[in-house]
Amino acid sequence: MPRVSPPSILCALLLGLAALACAETRAAGEVSGAWELVAQHLPADALARLKNSSGNADRESALAQAIVLMDSQPATDEKMRDVVSRLESLGRGDDEIALAATYMVGRVYQAHFFAADLGRAAEVYEALAARQPASYWAQLALVKLAVLKLYALPQPAGPPARVAAAEALLARVTDPILQRDLHVVIGRARLFHDLPGVLPHLVAAARVGGFAGVPRSDLQLQVAELSRREGNWAQAREFFEEFITENDADPRAYAVRIKLEEIAAVYPAAKGIAP
Amino acid sequence: MRRRAFTRGLALLIVAYGFATWWVFTRSAPLVSARPVTIRLAHWQIEKGPPDGLAAVIKRYEEINPRVKVEAVGVPSPIYRQWLRTNLTGGTGTDIVEFAYFLGGVGDVPVRYFEPLTRFMEIPNPYNRGTKMEQIPWRRTFADNLYLMVSQSPEIGQIYGVTLTQGSMRLFCNRALLKEITGATIPPKNFLEFRALWAQVADHAKRTGRPLHTLAGSRSNAQWLLEMLMQGCVTRLNLELDRDGCLSRNSPQVLEDYLNGRWSAKGPDLRAAYALMREVCLQMRPGFAQLSRDDAIQEFVRGEALFIFSGSFDATSLRELAPFPVEAMHLPQLTQDDPVVGPFIKGPFLEGLLGTGCEFYLNKNTRHKEEALDFLRFLTSVEGGQIFTERSGWLSSIRSVPTPPELEVQRAEFNGYYTGIFYMGMGPNSEIAFKQNFHLLVTPQGSVDRFVEALEANMKAALTEDLRLDLHNRLAGVRAVDSEIIAMSALNRVLAVSPERASRQQTLAANQTLAEQRALESAWILARRGAPNSSH
Repeated sequence: MPRVSPPSILCALLLGLAALACAETRAAGEVSGAWELVAQHLPADALARLKNSSGNADRESALAQAIVLMDSQPATDEKMRDVVSRLESLGRGDDEIALAATYMVGRVYQAHFFAADLGRAAEVYEALAARQPASYWAQLALVKLAVLKLYALPQPAGPPARVAAAEALLARVTDPILQRDLHVVIGRARLFHDLPGVLPHLVAAARVGGFAGVPRSDLQLQVAELSRREGNWAQAREFFEEFITENDADPRAYAVRIKLEEIAAVYPAAKGIAP
Repeated sequence: MRRRAFTRGLALLIVAYGFATWWVFTRSAPLVSARPVTIRLAHWQIEKGPPDGLAAVIKRYEEINPRVKVEAVGVPSPIYRQWLRTNLTGGTGTDIVEFAYFLGGVGDVPVRYFEPLTRFMEIPNPYNRGTKMEQIPWRRTFADNLYLMVSQSPEIGQIYGVTLTQGSMRLFCNRALLKEITGATIPPKNFLEFRALWAQVADHAKRTGRPLHTLAGSRSNAQWLLEMLMQGCVTRLNLELDRDGCLSRNSPQVLEDYLNGRWSAKGPDLRAAYALMREVCLQMRPGFAQLSRDDAIQEFVRGEALFIFSGSFDATSLRELAPFPVEAMHLPQLTQDDPVVGPFIKGPFLEGLLGTGCEFYLNKNTRHKEEALDFLRFLTSVEGGQIFTERSGWLSSIRSVPTPPELEVQRAEFNGYYTGIFYMGMGPNSEIAFKQNFHLLVTPQGSVDRFVEALEANMKAALTEDLRLDLHNRLAGVRAVDSEIIAMSALNRVLAVSPERASRQQTLAANQTLAEQRALESAWILARRGAPNSSH
């Protein structure tokens, strides 16, 4: 019988550890690859990638599998119930994956079932915000909850009460970017419901900045034009000029130049603007 | 004897072999490219002009990049969509692919097969060194900052391609015929003069007995012309409806406005606009709505129409096909003293969107990604744009590319209002209703009253259905963003944290929230004001 020397045992152990590390690295690579495919809206490809990492049942893979399932066709209610069950199971943990999974439970109820269950979605968002109020997912859930309160939930009834309920959530949203989003939402809701007090919200959002593309240019124009209608010439000019500087190829640029000419005519301090 | 014949035969064979060898190595195209890398570019721009422009750009690129050979593959547009799908699916797609969403049924293609170029867009194009664009991020070197490209992107804010050209819509005039009719070649300066010219054309046709109309007619050419005129007619209306302060109205907003009772086809502004439409269409040959774009071009080059209204994309073809000098000119503007629509005119209208087009995308699966991207950079550089414009007769999409004097008239400018929707169908149902009743407006027996009455009879149901469909589509778009938001966060968890991904997550979440808010506003109005039992 061959003798087993201590160095050979050590070598075998090291090789075993190295193989384990390689397997883990490969599995992690498969999961990140799958997430890349999810980000590109290729759920079938992501699913194939996750199958390559079969046997790996860690929480990251489980979350990826639930999201891929949610994203793949056909999107049946039965499949969504399965997704909710998986996400709820993940949500019982105490890490970031648990918070993300819980947030997604709310999203599935709100947007992915054939018939949305907005009441359930609101409950999930409320519970998440109570559980870890400072986490990103809880903060985002509060913004989504505000949108539901403004337009879709049966209570509160009546536009002023709806807006008040959404404004009450503002204090709980401490993430500056999400607070900005909530300001825009409330400002536009006031406009939609014909309530005064639109501009303070929109201006607050515009001062935070960070929007890109069409939402950014739309917000600039809204602040500028609504300020002009209220006779706040300086603010109107500031935002019209910002719009023109950034959006010289936007088809609304001509109208903005005309507005700037009109402002210059009634507001002496604005003279000198080159239309 | 036999041996001599054999020797002769052998000699003949050797000579023939030698000649063939000499031919192959000196006269024929190389069997294998001498360049280590070959990239191929597929496009459907096989009309006159663009193929020459592309060939010239490729020639110059190959001069400065001896490693790379570029092959342009022209594919006829009728089969392009099938060709594209088959080759991309089979893994035989070209390295660079012309693509457009209007091909239809191709919404999944960009994310599936094309490489996002967003991350390269904030970096200056290296081929712009020594030009005014040297320090400018690639995206801002395009005349429209790729505004249209981004607005059509299947992923919010993602840029998948670059554009080659910019277009405009213009009146193309048969100058010889204009002189024959009016005694001069001075084009009409405004719509009043344009109207006066219609009468002269009709009179000339009557006197000479020739088949002659002011405008060459077809379904497409008429639609382009009417859409542009409608922009002028509805500027005031759109700005009056603009409660939000965005200085324009889009389709769902106008659908909501209708359901809220804020406009109707019976209103004086739209009635006047439809009256103008009728006037203009009567300047085309009867039955134009059944004719194709090629029919209109033939009518024009036969000298049976004084003008054709078309895009700059037809400029080179018209110049080369017509046996007479063709002059491009601006469509005369509507003015406030116009007898038909004057009271509703706010100011000049924008002569079409300043969008750039002819989009080229990078195949995600190309083996030569770096070289293909490099060629796209050259194609859309100041030098590449200049070569393309000079040889194609098409305008370049790139800022600071000099416009040849003869093309100056085709360059789009911000010379007027553009306020969005122009009330010729705000969705599939209303568009069908508009087209089905169009004959009531534009035939000699038709009238504005008959048209408006027929349109309004079913308008609420049609617009309700359009808004429902639009809402459904918007919610589908909103829903698809969830997985990307979660994926961005997950990738920052499993890989090294990337500020780019974090920023994209924020952008996606913000845009999703705002889109969802707009969708719920539409749902609010549908629930309270929509037609309860739509017949559609």
